Amino acid sequence: MRVNRHNYEINATPRLQVLSEDQIEAIYYASLRVLYETGVRVYATEGVDVAHAGGAIVEETTARSSLVKIPPDMVDKARATVPSKVVVIGPDRRYRMELFKNQIYYGGGSDTPFTLDPYTGERRRSTYQDVKNFARIAQALPNYDFHMSLGITQDTAVGTYDRWQYLAMLEGTSKPINITAVDIEGVRDQLEMALIRVGGKDEWRKGPIFSLYIEPVSPLSHSREVVQKLLFCCDNDIPFVYTPCPLAGATAPATLAGLLVQALAESLFGIVLSQLRRPGAQIIIGGLMSNMDMLSTIYCYGSPEMALLSAAYTDITKWLRVPEYETAGCSDAKLFDEQAAMEAAINIATSGLIGGNMIHDVGYLDSGLTSCPDLMVASDEIIDMVKRILQGIEVTPDTMALDVIAEIGPGGHFMEHDHTFERFKTEIWRPKLIQRQNWENWQLAGGQRYGQRVHARVIEILESDTAPLLDEAMFKEMRRICELADARHKDEELDVKMFV
Amino acid sequence: MSEILKRMSSAVIQGQRDDTRQMARDAIEGGCSAEEVLYQGLMPGMDHVSGEFKAGRMFVPEVMRSARAMLNAMEVIKPIMVKNGIRMAGKVVLGTVQGDLHDIGKNLVGMMCEGAGFEIHDLGADVAPGQFVEAVKAFQPDIVGMSALLTTTMRAMEGTVQALVEAGVRDRVKVMIGGAPVTQAFADRIGVDGYAPDAAAAADKAKHLIAASR
Ligand code: B12
Repeated sequence: MRVNRHNYEINATPRLQVLSEDQIEAIYYASLRVLYETGVRVYATEGVDVAHAGGAIVEETTARSSLVKIPPDMVDKARATVPSKVVVIGPDRRYRMELFKNQIYYGGGSDTPFTLDPYTGERRRSTYQDVKNFARIAQALPNYDFHMSLGITQDTAVGTYDRWQYLAMLEGTSKPINITAVDIEGVRDQLEMALIRVGGKDEWRKGPIFSLYIEPVSPLSHSREVVQKLLFCCDNDIPFVYTPCPLAGATAPATLAGLLVQALAESLFGIVLSQLRRPGAQIIIGGLMSNMDMLSTIYCYGSPEMALLSAAYTDITKWLRVPEYETAGCSDAKLFDEQAAMEAAINIATSGLIGGNMIHDVGYLDSGLTSCPDLMVASDEIIDMVKRILQGIEVTPDTMALDVIAEIGPGGHFMEHDHTFERFKTEIWRPKLIQRQNWENWQLAGGQRYGQRVHARVIEILESDTAPLLDEAMFKEMRRICELADARHKDEELDVKMFV
Repeated sequence: MSEILKRMSSAVIQGQRDDTRQMARDAIEGGCSAEEVLYQGLMPGMDHVSGEFKAGRMFVPEVMRSARAMLNAMEVIKPIMVKNGIRMAGKVVLGTVQGDLHDIGKNLVGMMCEGAGFEIHDLGADVAPGQFVEAVKAFQPDIVGMSALLTTTMRAMEGTVQALVEAGVRDRVKVMIGGAPVTQAFADRIGVDGYAPDAAAAADKAKHLIAASR
């Protein structure tokens, strides 16, 4: 038998590589030097103590923080126990993320103060209903594998918004959720809600239904709140994302390699601390790194550097064998316009080609300040196209179709051939909202721009009847947790009508 | 005499931060007054820079360097101005409010205001209302600038204003706020004197607030 060697020598899946192994190692060892020689500031004595007990050098302790220096062997030790795979499963157990090398999953971002109103297009403060809407859209779109709130609820109590926001998301989706939390009390409450949703601690252990989003502070600082959240997650079997947001030229070096060195040092500290606290603790490192626009001063979400840095970081995490958090589907445009589509397409394609794991921020506009349902819907189709490209081209005697070519010969056609009939559906991608009609038929169909068709789909999703995901008793129980939190914090409240 | 002032303007524009101290000394020795150094040497340079920045022809790192060039010269002339009782553009106490760790925007605002001639007392991030109050008492600023990047910490802006009122110092200062989730409408709602969407606008706002109060 003739063995087909092509798929052995050439990858069936197209791929992108930004950094060579040598470059990755250079960056990694540079990060180790940063950790050991420059050190990181830790603003929580609990964290300092854990690091110190594990062998870290603690210096320059002030009332609020210490400088912590991590010898390289501590990193080696942590790398030996850090999981190479993290699993998060939705309350509907069919929605499953297996986060490890090259497995791609897309989802939203969280906590944007503003939302583009789906009916008026107006940019206004995000509400509970918006968060629920976004979750319903995520639920309806097949290429959304996990969810984040997109908007931040601003019509519920401010200091306990996180619980309400989680409730709104649970109303709309049964996919895995990456939550945000005000503090560990907020994590604790949301964990309690999750246990109600999933049916107890054992079910949670089989597959946690959320991960927690945690951000150390660039450059090289780990705040009290961040360290407390990390330790809480380790103690409570909660997978968590530990993602710095360094900004080239502002909170990190302007050179992208320098930014990567710093970001990796920030993440590695999270790995070390978590593995000291509990070997095997489930950490995902990441992923929002970009440049400051040196005119407008914004944090760029649509720049080529954002996509390139995320991709480079993915190369590093693959080498480290640690699950990765990545950024795509986002833009600095103010509306869902041509710029938004262009920037999102570029960064979605890059993130897919590189094989990032948990790819977030789909649906973000305006430098992460505004969420947009239309961008979510459009991105779903962009992701679909990218996934087709990632399927690559299978090259076998059968797919090369020599016999078919010979049979049809010069001058014939393939439209009626069995080979075409059997293969066209699996081989050729079919668009959902992209239009390919000829001019006349496109005009007859209303002559709409892509954006109009996307918008119609948004409205269709929002107005479709879907069965409630939470039964009433469950909803009430979870709502009670939110209300109790409100009651505990009522003295600190700002009048929510302040959000104008 | 005007030759050296002109050179000083262009040194600010070029961001020659290592040269401006000496230039200021030379100017003073050559018979210029401190006021002339500031208003005919440094400020015209910095005004040009901020115009170029707004027009998109100069960028943040260049503006920062120009501001530093000016501040280095200020070190030389400030003691003279203080001695002669000459009023500076104004003093600003600046900080990111309690619970909030986002500081890069606040830092930019500080640099831009310094570039506009203000004296800045930067309290850092996660600044409690009481610390703002203390700083107002200690530094006697014209303006208190607060930054918040989180809806949750926007509460602390209102709380800080209240603390200033309770300490009886609210009337002594103008309060200016900013940060990504903050809007003019919010500023109106909590009764502060100004809002600006970015650092360049913040410096302009600070100037207006001073002009209006003097
Ligand atoms: C970088 C970043 C971080 C970094 C900050 C590092 C640092 N050293 O500053 C880190 C990782 C620490 C961080 C943490 C968090 N962040 Co953050 N962060 C951002 C991000 C992406 C960019 C901010 C930035 O640096 N912009 C660039 C600077 C130059 O612009 P700027 O700050 O807006 O400042 C300009 C103007 O606003 C104005 N200005 C600023 N201050 C002032 C003051 C005055 C007086 C005036 C007049 C003007 C003015 O002038 C500045 C210069 O032009 C924003 C998204 C965004 N686009 O804002 C989210 C964002 C602000 N963060 C957000 C969140 C949710 C968080 C976290 C709560 C996440 C979490 N769950 O843990 C934590 C909170 C930590 C804490 N306690 O503060 C949300 C806010 C949501 C909300 N509640 O309103 C945002 C909007 C992103 C999002 N959609 O989720 N973050």
